[in-house]
Amino acid sequence: MRLARAARRKGPGVSEESAPRAGGEVAVAEAPAEDERRPVLKRKDNRAWWLVLPVVVSVAFTAVIPLMTVVNFSVQDVFGPNDRVFVGLEWFRSVARDPEVRAALVRTLLFSAQVLLLEIPLGVALAVCMPRRGVQVSVALVLVALPLLIPWNVVGTIWQIFARGDIGLGGWTINNVLGVNFNYTLDSTDAWITVLVMDVWHWTPLVALLAYAGLRSIPEPYFQAAQIDGASAWSTFRHIQLPRLRGVLTIAILLRFMDSFMIYTEPFVVTGGGPGNATSFLSILLSKIAVGQFDLGPAGAFSLLYFLIVQILCYVFFTVLTRSGR
Amino acid sequence: MLEWMVWTVPTALVFAGLALLLAVMAVWGRISPPVARRGFLRIETDRGDRLYIGLISAAVVLAGWIAITDLSMWLALGCALLVAVVIGIWG
Repeated sequence: MRLARAARRKGPGVSEESAPRAGGEVAVAEAPAEDERRPVLKRKDNRAWWLVLPVVVSVAFTAVIPLMTVVNFSVQDVFGPNDRVFVGLEWFRSVARDPEVRAALVRTLLFSAQVLLLEIPLGVALAVCMPRRGVQVSVALVLVALPLLIPWNVVGTIWQIFARGDIGLGGWTINNVLGVNFNYTLDSTDAWITVLVMDVWHWTPLVALLAYAGLRSIPEPYFQAAQIDGASAWSTFRHIQLPRLRGVLTIAILLRFMDSFMIYTEPFVVTGGGPGNATSFLSILLSKIAVGQFDLGPAGAFSLLYFLIVQILCYVFFTVLTRSGR
Repeated sequence: MLEWMVWTVPTALVFAGLALLLAVMAVWGRISPPVARRGFLRIETDRGDRLYIGLISAAVVLAGWIAITDLSMWLALGCALLVAVVIGIWG
């Protein structure tokens, strides 16, 4: 009704242009000023929904139909289009009980948890420390955003060399200056730490930028009031800044969780999943089955189970995200 | 033309069922628009949300079943549908 009232203020002929809405809703719009007593039934124009068609077609072409094909592959042993055997749920059974897959799932969840525990506090701390005004703001923003601009496989290559004990600056320093024996190609803990630190280096800036945007949106009077009350820097952070960051931090956690849960390129370039299985996350194991061994049936079943987990986590985060705004 | 998609009868039936379900939900939504409410899930859902949560939960039941036990998958399907129906009605 607010729309209709606004339309009345502007005069006749405006209310018909209101935004399209789901379904063919019939809206009771109040008539323009000269004919105010008689309410008129108006059918909303829904033709704008046709504009969604290109998206529907392209998503069907790039996502839905390929996914259907994956489902078809997951219940068959396919040797060729005319040479295939229906095996029912056999691939699902073997994948769901495969100790290697289960280990990779645990590894991936552990990795995601560590990524969140490191990147979220670090990103917030970075955002709090960034300058608030002046020319330093642009400098800080560019410096912080720099790792985000580097392609993933380049990040992998950088760290693959950087962490090496013989020619890499980082690895050499740890080995020869700190005197710690560090070799990510042989030691599984070192490989894990390398991949983790690389991810923190690459993606903490994203959290920092999101948190910075959240901090900038807090009105100045809040800080003035805190100052008048004599609040310490910590309690200002704890009771003003952190609660106001809730929305952006939920987005940051969602993005970082999903991305680290599906991480592929960087560990593939740096460690290739090794040494042994130390850094073979779900996506690396999946591509080994699908591309390396060309076992399309098990790979299809694996992808669908992986997809199910991602779906659930996405939905949980989405629900939390949309509810936290209320 | 669809040879490369290596269709089988069971998967075709599943997708046809899903398409039918979506069509029915669309028509139902047109006839009587869904109303959001709170059930035992403790979040505000309308019937489309509950259908989605129910389907995903059913898939979780099936996946968990196949990962853990050798009992018949028809029993699993029964449990999964039961879960979906319970969530659909009281969720």
